[in-house]
Amino acid sequence: MPTDPAFTPSGLMRLLGKAVAVALVLAWSLGPIALIVSAAFTPERDIFATGVAWRPTFENFVALWQRWGDFFTGLANSFIVTVGATLLAVLTSTLAGFGYSRWRSRFLSGSVFAMIALRLLPPIVTTLPLFPIVNALGLNDTHAVLIILYAAFFVSLGTMVMRTFIDQIPRELDEAAMMDGASQAQIFRRVILPLSAQGMVAVAIFVIVYAWNEFLFAFIFTTKNAKTAPLVLSEMIGSLEGVEWGVLFAATTVQLLPILAFVVLCQRHLIEGLTAGATKG
Amino acid sequence: MAAFSISAMQEPRRALPYVAPALALLAFVILIPAAYVLWLSFQQSTFGRAATFVGFANYAKILADPYFWRALGNTVVVVLIVVHVEVVLGLAMAVLFAGGLPFRKLLIAAVLAPYAVSEVGAVVMWRTLFDPDTGFMTRVLTGLGLPPLEWSVVPSHGLALVALLSIWLHLPFTFIILYAARLAIPKDLYEAAEIDGASAWQSFRRVTLPLLMPAILVAMLFRYIFAYRLFSEVWLLTQGGPARSTEVVAVYLYLEAFRYNDFGAASATGWLMVVTSLLLAAFYLRRLYREMFARAD
Repeated sequence: MPTDPAFTPSGLMRLLGKAVAVALVLAWSLGPIALIVSAAFTPERDIFATGVAWRPTFENFVALWQRWGDFFTGLANSFIVTVGATLLAVLTSTLAGFGYSRWRSRFLSGSVFAMIALRLLPPIVTTLPLFPIVNALGLNDTHAVLIILYAAFFVSLGTMVMRTFIDQIPRELDEAAMMDGASQAQIFRRVILPLSAQGMVAVAIFVIVYAWNEFLFAFIFTTKNAKTAPLVLSEMIGSLEGVEWGVLFAATTVQLLPILAFVVLCQRHLIEGLTAGATKG
Repeated sequence: MAAFSISAMQEPRRALPYVAPALALLAFVILIPAAYVLWLSFQQSTFGRAATFVGFANYAKILADPYFWRALGNTVVVVLIVVHVEVVLGLAMAVLFAGGLPFRKLLIAAVLAPYAVSEVGAVVMWRTLFDPDTGFMTRVLTGLGLPPLEWSVVPSHGLALVALLSIWLHLPFTFIILYAARLAIPKDLYEAAEIDGASAWQSFRRVTLPLLMPAILVAMLFRYIFAYRLFSEVWLLTQGGPARSTEVVAVYLYLEAFRYNDFGAASATGWLMVVTSLLLAAFYLRRLYREMFARAD
């Protein structure tokens, strides 16, 4: 009679090993997040106490609302910047993805190569010349400057992802539409756009996560009006004399939870996008 | 309205309106500024004052600056640790997940979670975990009879915490790349190895590892290039202190530009970053270049 391999001694050991490995993976990935989220719901005086029963409360969120209006303006700014950067990046990437998918020439090959090489440059380098220019144009501390910067740093990855997706749309569809007298712009709008929605979603996810969380550009180019949520968070850490831990954890939780839910919901598209474009371009 | 012929459609000039917006965005935000940084790196310049040509003086200045070398050394050590630990952990997790797990979707969601966390959020989490008085990990370490991590005082401890939180933030990326590549390996290869009597370790050594090599190299390359930019984690955790001992290259550049107002030296640092990034990428770019032009002809 065959025995279930799980019940042999070596099978049991293997099962146990797997269980331990999974537990470690979960503790590593979720532990730090769980710590902050649960602390956000803990009364400030209990947070660092040991052996106190957990009494869930919203008082940290209430305190955040009352004392850090700045943070909520920051969330609104983050939202505006994220939406703007996503629209700009998805639009330019889809157009370019179509161009690079349907035409071939030395110029196009050279320019797509340049796109990929430019993406590899460290963002902080471009802040040096941009800082005085942005000031001179009066764009300092505006949503526009962040929208343009974020879109620019993702348009190259976005174009590669879109090209990969549009390559999979059969050219026969373009040709059939052309026979029916459709112009190029009509082919793009009526044939390509509807069929490349999946790719657009993948690009949008990258930009959304990046723009919502970005720190460096927000730190250098915004001071007051367009300050994003991560920047306000960093100011809360920075007030070293009196960090209000409960409020800080509440703010971290509020900034994190929507984007975390979004990433979990879009898991499939995120993985597709990463494998379609991240490594190829 | 005239119908468009197929040959007209294939004329490459017609691609221009489609690719132009993306290229313009890149040109104005990255290409022209990067070129301008090269020019600035040969100038003596502070914010709001006219620049004067000084040749290689800025490069000489930073190359003679012990703080630059310390920042570079710190960067190299952190990048090497972060990227290699990530690849090893990512590989182990890819093998674990490919071996079949219950609730796989849910577990992958858990593994991806840190991808959603901002650098600021991660700093809040990890400095709380390692708070010298009250941190959970500090208690664990003392419980095990180990010394706590004095990240705000001891430079190497500060960099260790930076490395730890960078690994945590970026492991999802490395994992997904390796996991997708592992799933692409045909099942028959493992079945054949099993028939030949290969142990689990042998089939990992002889089948998984060689077939994953290209994906491992690509993941490492990308992580080298992106880890090299490291700024926010250090800035938010230690600000490069105490006494400039935990600076990395990007933090050095930022301080030169925005604290010491020396745009020339900052630009020279920036251009060194550009050149080293492209050198790191040279292997990848060369292969890509060949593919591109093979596609064009």
